[in-house]
Amino acid sequence: MIQLLNVRKKFGQRLVVADLSLQVERGEIYGLLGHNGAGKSTAIGMMLGQVWPTAGEVRICGHDVAANRGAALRAVGAIFETPVFYDYLSGWRNLQILSTYTAPTSEARIQEVIAWVGLTGREHSKVRTYSHGMRARLALAQALLPKPELLILDEPSDGLDPEGIHEMRETILRLQRELGLTILLSSHLLNEVDQLCTRIAILQGGRKVFEGSVAEVKSVHGRVELKTPDFPGATRWLRERGLITATLEGRFIILSAGHSTAEITQTLVAAGFAVEGIWQHEQTVEDFYMGLVSQQKETTKS
Amino acid sequence: MLRAQLQNELWKLFGKRRTYIGFGAFVLAQSTMLLMFKYTRWESQFERLLAGNGYPASDYISALTVALVMLTPQILLLMPLYVTLVGGDMVAKETEDGTLRMILSRPISRVRLLWVKWMAGTFFSVVLVLALGGIALGFARILFPWKGMFVFGEPPHPVFSLFPPGEGLRLYLFSHLLMAMNAIAMMSVAAMFSCFNMKPAAATILALSYLFMSMVLEHIPFFEAYQNWFITHHFASWVLLFQSPTPWAQIIQSEIILLATSATAFVIGALAFQVRDIKS
Repeated sequence: MIQLLNVRKKFGQRLVVADLSLQVERGEIYGLLGHNGAGKSTAIGMMLGQVWPTAGEVRICGHDVAANRGAALRAVGAIFETPVFYDYLSGWRNLQILSTYTAPTSEARIQEVIAWVGLTGREHSKVRTYSHGMRARLALAQALLPKPELLILDEPSDGLDPEGIHEMRETILRLQRELGLTILLSSHLLNEVDQLCTRIAILQGGRKVFEGSVAEVKSVHGRVELKTPDFPGATRWLRERGLITATLEGRFIILSAGHSTAEITQTLVAAGFAVEGIWQHEQTVEDFYMGLVSQQKETTKS
Repeated sequence: MLRAQLQNELWKLFGKRRTYIGFGAFVLAQSTMLLMFKYTRWESQFERLLAGNGYPASDYISALTVALVMLTPQILLLMPLYVTLVGGDMVAKETEDGTLRMILSRPISRVRLLWVKWMAGTFFSVVLVLALGGIALGFARILFPWKGMFVFGEPPHPVFSLFPPGEGLRLYLFSHLLMAMNAIAMMSVAAMFSCFNMKPAAATILALSYLFMSMVLEHIPFFEAYQNWFITHHFASWVLLFQSPTPWAQIIQSEIILLATSATAFVIGALAFQVRDIKS
């Protein structure tokens, strides 16, 4: 559904996206992660033909966006952070206006998406009277109007309260389950990505530093919490023997590949270190992301 | 589809309160001018001018004469302000508000979008001019009788003409067509600037600066030989309509130049809009 081939974007002399290649398959929820300024929004802009790539090729639904933007975006819906509408017009009128930029849309279809997002009864009120959550729902409605196959969500939960974030998460799952949509999700909420996405890509400084499935991320050994009276001495000893790769927050260790917690315990006890407890924590996307980011920072520093 | 897009563009335009600033300002300015005309020495000066040339003032101090007198300063000063305000908003305001990103996530081409917006701007310009003329004539008719029309203009476009009411009304209506062409050209220049990466106010100010600079240069004697190069010189063609005999060749030339200016502004704007990146 989405294919980026060695895409590069420069704003003046500043390189914002560097040789980015990624592929999103039909039916998956793909997460795009990265810090502010990592190039996520620029990459999304290039997918939608709003930002022109300096080099490379962007293909959406099999069409080259630069050469045939109209065909590429025919079955695409998008939501951006902080949904903006014509506040002085009603929700209904906003949907009518936006629908004409794609294809003729019947009133029945508008009514259908309004019902789907749960705005029935408020569609004729001016948008300026809508809460943030209602605006997010209206944004979703406008994205669903053209019966999309692909939905691009650029930080859709931005500015929502916890209840709104939960509702948005459930809606995204419903969209995939009930409508079979392919979804590209750019988000800062790593917990959200963890629960929703099937695959992720992590951008840093405009470069892709990781691409893989969430299952793959979780299968990697995560942090191990080690409780010992001499944490610095014990971890120095383990590191010297190549059993761990890093320590975190003065209580966690990251095991080297091929080593288990049982082996660590035995080794420490044999060496005379008291082990009061050792627990394996399942790796979350957040753990993985933070580990990757700190690793990248260290690499850059060195 | 074009019709639906244009209709929606008009909803957006006429749904905004700021669109009506121009209409409100015209009503205010015209009612003030009308009262001044009626209750100051302005009217008696007109009577003297007519009587001095051998014409009975009572036959020509009429609704048509007063409407035209009220119209002139507003066409020169207020109209450019309001049409450039709408033209400057055209793309830049949607970029600033963030709605443009949402529109451009849809398969509509940027040139098509600009074309629809430009047509809506053209419609607004025509409506504004018609409202201006209609309000002026309507207000003037309240206090003045329906009689002949007297048109007086000073150099560089000297006019001293008298018309019977029917002929006067016909010319008055026709002059609005030419004023609308002026308004469209002004709006197009502002819309062109609006397509570049700038704030809506900057686009409006740039367009007004261009018009002001053109007007200043046009009136410098050194540039007399180059007057055709100044857009404001061609804005005066509606006044020429009242000259006797009517200089049709000059009027047609000016209108073609205004049309070409609007088209050029559209093309430059479309090119700038097409190549730029739209970011949040």
